Amino acid sequence: MIRVRNLRKVFRVHRKKPGLTASMKSLFRREWIEKVAVAGADFEVNEGEIVGLIGANGAGKTTLVKMLSGIIHPSSGEATVLGYVPWRRQDNFRRQVALIMGQKASMWWDLPGADCFDLLREIYQIPPKQYRESLERLTTMLGIQDELNIQIRRLSLGERMKMELVAALLHSPRVVYLDEPTIGLDLTAQRAVRDFLLEYRRETAPAMLLTSHYMEDIERLCKRIIIIREGEIVYDGSLKRVMQEYAPYKNLQVHLRRGSDPDRQVLEKMGKISRCDPGNICLQVSREKVPEVAAEILRLFPVIDLSIGDPEISDTIERIMAGRSGDSE
Amino acid sequence: MRSGSFFLHMISLETRKLMIYRVDFWITMLVNMVAHLVVLWAIWNALFAESNQQFIGGWDLQGILAYGVMVFLTGRIVRGGDLQMIIATEIYDGSLSRFLVYPRNYVFTKYAQQLGNVAPDLVQSLLMAMVAIPALGLSTTAIISPASLAMAVPSIMVAHLLFFLMSLPPQFVAFWADNVWSLSVLLRFVSMLLGGALLPLSLFPESMQQVLSWLPFVYLYQFPTLVLLGKVGVTEWATGIGSCLLWCIVMGWLAVPFWKRGSLRYTGVGI
Repeated sequence: MIRVRNLRKVFRVHRKKPGLTASMKSLFRREWIEKVAVAGADFEVNEGEIVGLIGANGAGKTTLVKMLSGIIHPSSGEATVLGYVPWRRQDNFRRQVALIMGQKASMWWDLPGADCFDLLREIYQIPPKQYRESLERLTTMLGIQDELNIQIRRLSLGERMKMELVAALLHSPRVVYLDEPTIGLDLTAQRAVRDFLLEYRRETAPAMLLTSHYMEDIERLCKRIIIIREGEIVYDGSLKRVMQEYAPYKNLQVHLRRGSDPDRQVLEKMGKISRCDPGNICLQVSREKVPEVAAEILRLFPVIDLSIGDPEISDTIERIMAGRSGDSE
Repeated sequence: MRSGSFFLHMISLETRKLMIYRVDFWITMLVNMVAHLVVLWAIWNALFAESNQQFIGGWDLQGILAYGVMVFLTGRIVRGGDLQMIIATEIYDGSLSRFLVYPRNYVFTKYAQQLGNVAPDLVQSLLMAMVAIPALGLSTTAIISPASLAMAVPSIMVAHLLFFLMSLPPQFVAFWADNVWSLSVLLRFVSMLLGGALLPLSLFPESMQQVLSWLPFVYLYQFPTLVLLGKVGVTEWATGIGSCLLWCIVMGWLAVPFWKRGSLRYTGVGI
């Protein structure tokens, strides 16, 4: 459904030094720099797949989404979405895609949701019967039937995001871009949005590309992730595999009998110490050394409890994004 | 047909949006009307009293006051409410993005929005005219009749379209320059001055009138106002409408390369 080949976007940005003198100078002469936002992206997304696009701020996620939704033109490279080149903005293409930007409202602020949806029916030329059914289904799923006649600006952030979701999905798009859909929402609202997206995907199976800074969004919704760092894709694969490839260590948590003070020098030989105080040890140990180290700890210290676990996915991904992949020790 | 339905829907939505703010609606009307009437009345009364003449440039006092009121009211409709810089603003703050995702022509959508924005101005203008014209007294040089009113409606409509199309290239400059507020002010000032919104062009020197008759500005303000005041014959009116439409084509044609090249540079704010 989405096919991207060597897609690149370079922005020309005006650089201005601080201060009044620099501002005066910039009226006559400007300094421009080139900023590579996306440096040759290659990937595909299939029907029914939700792919998480992860990266730090400024990594190029939103630029990629903007190119694939047809908002901006790339500097070079190719992309097709449903067989269309997005930035040609053909109406048939635009009728089948949706873009939800968590940081930008797309609804008419001064009007109630019902009026906005009615206009969207005209924009997307949705047949009346399909429109009524779609609106009924989506508002029921999100529990916002009672808010339809209230001005958008008078709704809570969570309710507004739910309205945005309805607005974006009314025309039953086959490709959905979600750019930080849960940003700023409280935990309950975040969960409601996630549950809704999962249910919507189960029912309609569109291709979804999701960017988010919340790892819970990614873990709940995506089986596959693409990690982007400074415009380059550094990982494209399953969420499970990222742990095996980029977190070659496990966390050993040990509780010792009261009053026991473990020997730091001994522990340092076993792995990287993340915590060591009387009664508690936390170690990062290479996967292959785990049985050996666990046995050694049981032999050397008065252990009450010992647990072995994978590191947090969010920590692992953060390391990849920061360019510190694999440096477990 | 479907496009027409969307167009009407967009106009209706925009109108409803503006009518929500009732306080703003009435205050805008009263402040504008009172301020403009007082200035107009004071200036022209003083000029007529000073010159000791009954007619200036072919107008009596009541006629020139009627021109001043009507050019002000039609001008508000022609300029299309508060949305004169909406496109440049949307390019600047990135809200253009949402319209690019919709399967609708962006400029067409904006025009519908602009028309919807005119509705409150239209209502206000009618109310103002109903109060102001009788208050100013009867003129022998400017007479509003049902026929002149019927001819004025299409004149104002094409003038509105011309102003919209004329404002497109300066607004599209926002793709390059981000902030183009100065261009908007310039367009507004130049078009008002050279279009007869401040003074009837008949008060300008003959040579300047000749030059101005070849420019599009006259069709924005003076032409629809003179039509409304019954000072334009049917043949002259038809020629004027035709010329205005020709200028619309020229302005629309000029806007196309600005859009094509500009939208290649659009970033939608941020990376």
